[in-house]
Amino acid sequence: MLNGVTFTAEKGQITCLIGINGAGKTTIMKAIMGLTPLKSGSIQIDGQPLSKGIYEKVAFVPDHLTMPLGMRLSEGIQFMQDFYASWNCERSSELMSFFKLNPKERIGNLSKGTAAKYSLLMGLSQDTDYVLMDEPFSGIDMFSRESIAEVFSSQLVEGRGVLLTTHEINDMEHLFDKAVLLQDGIVHKSFDCEEMRISEGKSVIDVMREVYQS
Amino acid sequence: MSRYLKLVHMEIHRFRYILAALMCIIAIFQITGLIRFLLRELGHRELVNDQYTLKPLSFAWTIFNTQRWFIAPMLICIAVLAIYVFLIWYRDWVGRSTFMYRLLMLPTARLHIYLAKMTAIFLFVLSMLSFQMFLLVVENIIYKLIVPADLRVDSFFSEIINSNQALEILWPHNFEQFLYVYGLGFLVIIVIFTAILLERCYRGIGILYGIVYIAACILLYILSYSLLDSYESYLYPSEMYAAVMSVCGVILICSFLLSFRLLSKKITV
Repeated sequence: MLNGVTFTAEKGQITCLIGINGAGKTTIMKAIMGLTPLKSGSIQIDGQPLSKGIYEKVAFVPDHLTMPLGMRLSEGIQFMQDFYASWNCERSSELMSFFKLNPKERIGNLSKGTAAKYSLLMGLSQDTDYVLMDEPFSGIDMFSRESIAEVFSSQLVEGRGVLLTTHEINDMEHLFDKAVLLQDGIVHKSFDCEEMRISEGKSVIDVMREVYQS
Repeated sequence: MSRYLKLVHMEIHRFRYILAALMCIIAIFQITGLIRFLLRELGHRELVNDQYTLKPLSFAWTIFNTQRWFIAPMLICIAVLAIYVFLIWYRDWVGRSTFMYRLLMLPTARLHIYLAKMTAIFLFVLSMLSFQMFLLVVENIIYKLIVPADLRVDSFFSEIINSNQALEILWPHNFEQFLYVYGLGFLVIIVIFTAILLERCYRGIGILYGIVYIAACILLYILSYSLLDSYESYLYPSEMYAAVMSVCGVILICSFLLSFRLLSKKITV
């Protein structure tokens, strides 16, 4: 249950929703994408309330597969291309080769790391202003993490607003511009990561320790 | 192609193997039954060898004598279809991949998802019907290949249908009856879809809501039927038929509206 959650994620910035398991990170993502109805409050995209048009403006990368397991990777891509006007074929081909994915492979046969890469491809191949990513680094091997992290510092997310959730920020915090700390469905603290480093000399992990261990 | 048609295409693509398997089962059962009967019958006729007492062997008579070979695969198909009505929704929620995430996030009205699933089921049934019709033609060819010309007698299509209980149910005698039988089946599926969505929206307590909704619809239908029946002296059969159809229409509209509301406002993944 979320209560009094207020924060903004801006274009051109990577905002990280941080919280321990059950803090409400995924619920926020689902609420933004209209997968969990809101009892009260509102979510606005570029100052406009949520509408059907959101799905052409915001791409969502969940922490698990969202395509039928029997489909081949190429069929999944074709499906997306059929439905999304914002689908960028060139980018999807680029990402296919960058992540070394085999288009003929069945989605059900993908390992956790490869599935995460494929999900990321599905999200980033849409020409949207915002990208939401739910736990993109969760439960995957070091090399997959590295190649996914590479995406965050590439032109693929340049100019876009990225909102991601994670509870594993070791080695990743340098990627984030802004952090929003959640606890029990409430925003505990929201800050600019660089400013925090300069003004108080604290890393995101230091702030997390203060919040969650106090 | 509109997004609705793309969704229908995808749904059909997903059940193509089940459909093909069912068609194989029907074909194997019916052709086996047909050949078995014809060979036995011809063998028997050879033994008796009395051309004056034995009537010619018609295709309708052959179909009449192979009824259980028609009924068994039909029951299998009904069972599979009944399971598939649930599976068409639940497979998108349950398992390692939750495709419902993707479906609900498509930049199209959620109503299209519902209608695509409904259309897919409808096409599934129509495909089976068409296949059965095609199979009868194939069976007629097999019959002609096995039975010598002097022992054969031609049958009308209506004779063939009337000779077999399973086929009689599949192809009702007139369009009104066809509309009633298939319309009722369609209504049952819509009511079940609504119950499934109630369960998906409210989870635990949703099961109860779903059961209550199905029970209420059945009760409404039975009540309308029995009440009208008790006043039959005041109503012509056609008026009674129209009144029952109206009740079915009310159930249909209520189920549609409730389902669309649940899909657009309440559904969660």
